[in-house]
Order: sequence, then structure tokens, then C-alpha cells
Amino acid sequence: MERFAIIGFGCAGYHALEAIRETDKEARVDVYSDTALPPYNPMLTTYYVAGRLPYEGLFPFGTLEDIAQRLDAHIITNTKVTAVKAGERTVVLSDGREERYDKLLVSTGATAFVPGSFADLKRAFCMRTVDDAVALHDALERREYKDAVIVGASMVGIKVAELLYKRGCHVTLADMAPHIFALAAYPEVSEMIEDRLRNMGIDLAFGQAIAGAEEHDDGTTTVKLADGSSIDTELLVLNIGTRAATGILSPDEVTVERGIVVNDHMETSVPGIYAAGDCCQGNNLQSGQTQIIGLWANAGTQGRAAGRNMAGAMGESDGNILHNITHFLDMDFIGLGDNRLTGEVKTFRSEDGGFYLQAVLKDGKPVGFNILDNYGVSGILKAYLIKVLRGERPVFSAEQRGQLVRFGLSENFIDELGAAL
Amino acid sequence: MKKYLFFDPEKCSACGACQLACMDQNDVDASTGAQPFRFTFTQEGRGGDLHFYSVSCMHCADAPCVMGCPSGCLTKSEEGFTLYDTTRCIGCHSCAMACPYGIPSFGPDGKMVKCDACYERQKAGLVPACVKVCPTGALTLLTETELKERQQARQRSRSQTMLKEFAV
Repeated sequence: MERFAIIGFGCAGYHALEAIRETDKEARVDVYSDTALPPYNPMLTTYYVAGRLPYEGLFPFGTLEDIAQRLDAHIITNTKVTAVKAGERTVVLSDGREERYDKLLVSTGATAFVPGSFADLKRAFCMRTVDDAVALHDALERREYKDAVIVGASMVGIKVAELLYKRGCHVTLADMAPHIFALAAYPEVSEMIEDRLRNMGIDLAFGQAIAGAEEHDDGTTTVKLADGSSIDTELLVLNIGTRAATGILSPDEVTVERGIVVNDHMETSVPGIYAAGDCCQGNNLQSGQTQIIGLWANAGTQGRAAGRNMAGAMGESDGNILHNITHFLDMDFIGLGDNRLTGEVKTFRSEDGGFYLQAVLKDGKPVGFNILDNYGVSGILKAYLIKVLRGERPVFSAEQRGQLVRFGLSENFIDELGAAL
Repeated sequence: MKKYLFFDPEKCSACGACQLACMDQNDVDASTGAQPFRFTFTQEGRGGDLHFYSVSCMHCADAPCVMGCPSGCLTKSEEGFTLYDTTRCIGCHSCAMACPYGIPSFGPDGKMVKCDACYERQKAGLVPACVKVCPTGALTLLTETELKERQQARQRSRSQTMLKEFAV
């Protein structure tokens, strides 16, 4: 009977466990978690804070008891793994105990990054974990905040901004980057979104570093910007970014860059040690390099591929591209592909102004899309972009073409996307 | 037992009966902006030739919407249909971005809706509403064996057509 360990129990860890049980009903699977919570989805935290999801809704796979029974797993809670001796396939626990396995999966996720200049703050909130969500949720229950500063104009930042805005709180969104969604949006599209936000009365402080923050006895905080100006606020929320949780592996043993580097089988540079989810760098189809693509669905497919390979069934994570959809304040932003790639720009605006599409093409081939307010075309264009990157015949099927027209894209524009191919 | 909601474009005339039956069965109120779960359309080829289609959820074997849903609302049934329970749907549109056919849509309450192959009707021994009304037999509910027979028949027909073309 084989012995497997899964370290970290989020989306990737859960899908790995499920995949192991597809083929191996007998193996012993130990799942290590440093909490007593079931796998949760960090993306749902803002929905819980906003009151749009009950607490139980943060855990899409059910309770730990259900999972343990359904998938015959030994889930070891509140237990910190301090190190993995990769060569020996051994897990070291905080009490010094060591457990040896046949194969290990590191699915430790990522943690919110808080720069040193903010580290001493007592009243600032983050938005990544269940504890973060509960803390902000309860704070908003206790009192009404008149204003807030949200640092980090990312997909999380905008959702925090949305929920506070809807409570009648004046929001300032700040970021060192010059524009909103700097890692996904083309500058022109960012500007359109920014105009809308300003029109709603949301203040934007972009393009300058946040130098620090000072908490006062009256409960307010002064946020200092690099240009010497400052903003006084009652509520400070930090969504500056995340860092892959790779600390349990030694870079002397296992290749670790920003994340743990894996191949298409989700195996690290050390045989028998796998990694999946936000802690790892899988294949980016667009660059041909490995990169952290920290998305829920990506973590799921990576975890599944890892689990299948651990159990001896072939499973590949077929690579991915950067992609995002964010539904906020009655709009949709969709970014597909690496927004740093430049080329010929083609734009489409529907006759009624209902949606806007910007495509970037290089050598006649699409390399990225930004879409405003049209989720209907998003999946078809994403599938198309992946097809192009895989070198498959780049055509829309009749069904896809019909749907693109149904959702407002013109036949001419559809032809232009494939005309040069 | 696996089942397939099979569409044969060669038999379709895009008459729209399936779309209407679907709206009726699923209480789709178009006046609220709700989208029908099934959509029929006609495409004109470069030579002026017309092609007819009826599109709804493809019930993909490895459905990307299932993995894409952050709330676990989508599941696969034993028969292979992609079902959903939107109690915990947050209306984030992630399933739409995951779907290569643009199928998920969102009702007035912001929650996802789509074709579930009339699962409740099937449980009661009935065929999906679109299948029931299709006047040309373009939409059918097939078992795995029936699907394979259809596919083989189509392959044979294509081979014969090609042979004839080469003979000329």
C-alpha cells in the first residue's frame, strides 16, 4: 500500500485527493492542514464580507468530516509542516516528528504580502484568508465606516472597494501601478474603468508608492503617499499581492523561483515531490516559461493532474494562460493573455455601446483580449486564444461563431481575428 | 447509464421550436432580459449556402465550468449531464469565461442558468422538451450505443460521398 502526503488543503490539495481516489482506493493519504477549516476559496472572502454568501459558503467542497469520509483521507488539522526533506520524501512537523512517504504534494497556496512599512499596523485589514474575511465582516458589523483606503487595485481590491461603496462608505483605491488591473488590462481599457469609478465618486490614487501608514489614538489612520501627500481614513485594507508559500522546501534541493517549478506532470525537480496551485509555477502556454497563474480553476486542474500522476495514472496539466474575469459594480472586465505583449490593436464597440473589445494581434495572430461588459464572448475567445497558442487550426466552430454573433460581435470583426491565419 | 443530447445539423432547419419549448419548460421570461437556454440560428456560407444550428450546453465530458465555478455549484450527473445548484452562486461569471461555447447566462437575480438537459423531465421518464418538439429529429436523446451507431453511420455516409467525388 502506497503512502501519500498532501501538504496544504485548498483547491489544489482537494482535487489531488479526489484524483488519487479515482485510481487508488487503497493508498493511505495523509492531508496536513495548519488550520481546522475545510478547503476554502480565497476568492469568496469578499462575498462573505458583503453578506452575499453565508459563512459555510466559503467552503465549496463541504466539511472536513464529509471529505475525509467520502475520499478516505486522514486529515491532520492544526498541524504545521515545518520542512520537507525532498530527497528522503519526508515531512517534518513542528513537534519534530518525521513521516516518510512514497510521494508528496506541496499545495500550500499563497499568503497575502504585507510590506515592512505596514507590518506594525494593528487596525489594517487584509483579504485572503477566512480569518481575514471574518475580521473585516465583524468590524463592519460593529461600526459604520465613513471612508476607507484600499491599497492594491487588483481583482481583490476592487471587490473590497465595491462592498464598501455599496455600504455608503467613501472609497479611495490606491496603487503604485499607474492603472487599475495593471497585470491584466490594456491602458486604454483601464482608463475606461477608471472613468466609470470616478463618476461613481470613488477616488483613485495611482502611480505612486504608498510610503507607509500611521495609526492614531482616535482610531484613524494616515496613509502616506510617496509624493509627500497623505490621506486620513477610518479604515485601511491592504491587498498588495500574494507570495507563494514555498518556505517548507529547500531551494538547495528543489528548484524554486517565485514559485515551485513543476513540469506538465506537476512534478518538481525532485522525483516523487509534486506541487500544484498558487505555490507553484506551471507551464504558461503563451511564454513557454513556467509562471505562477494563481487562479481557482488553474489550481483545480493542476491538483487533479498531480493526484493522477501520484497514483500512477497519466495526467497532464495542459498549461494555461493568464486570464481573469471580474464582475464588479455592475460591470464585467475580462483579460485574456499577457497584457504586456504589444502588436496590432483591433477594437470593437457594439452599436448600442453595450460592450467593448480590444484585441492585440502579433503577426496576424491574437495574443490577448480585453473585454468590457460581455461575459458571453469571453469563454469562446479564451478557447480560441488557447487554440492559437497550441498551434491548432484556429477556426471558430459554427456553434461558437453563432454565439459570438448572438452576443453582439460582428461577422466582419470575427473574420478579422482569423483573417491572417 | 451515459446519455447524450445529440444534435444533427444536417436535419436542422433552425425553425426555433426547440428554443420556444425550452423557454416554456424552463419559465424563461424574455421580458426581463433573461436569455433562452437554447438558441437557433442560420449561417450563410461563402457560396450563399445556408446552414442551420440549435445550440445549448454541450454537457462536455470534462466540463471546464465545473472546475471554473468558485462555489462548487456545477456537477456532473451519472449520465454525463452538467447540472447545477445555484444556492451558493455569487454571479461572478467565472463559468462563462470557462465555457468554450458561451453557454452560461445570468438571470435577473444574477445567478447562473443554463440547459440541464431537462433533468427533472428525464427523471420522470420524459425526454427533454427540445427533443420532444423537434419536428425533424435533429435533436435526440441517445444512449452510448445509439450515439456510436449514429457516429458510425455518419462516417460511412461521408466516406461514400468522398468516394463518389473521387470517382468523378
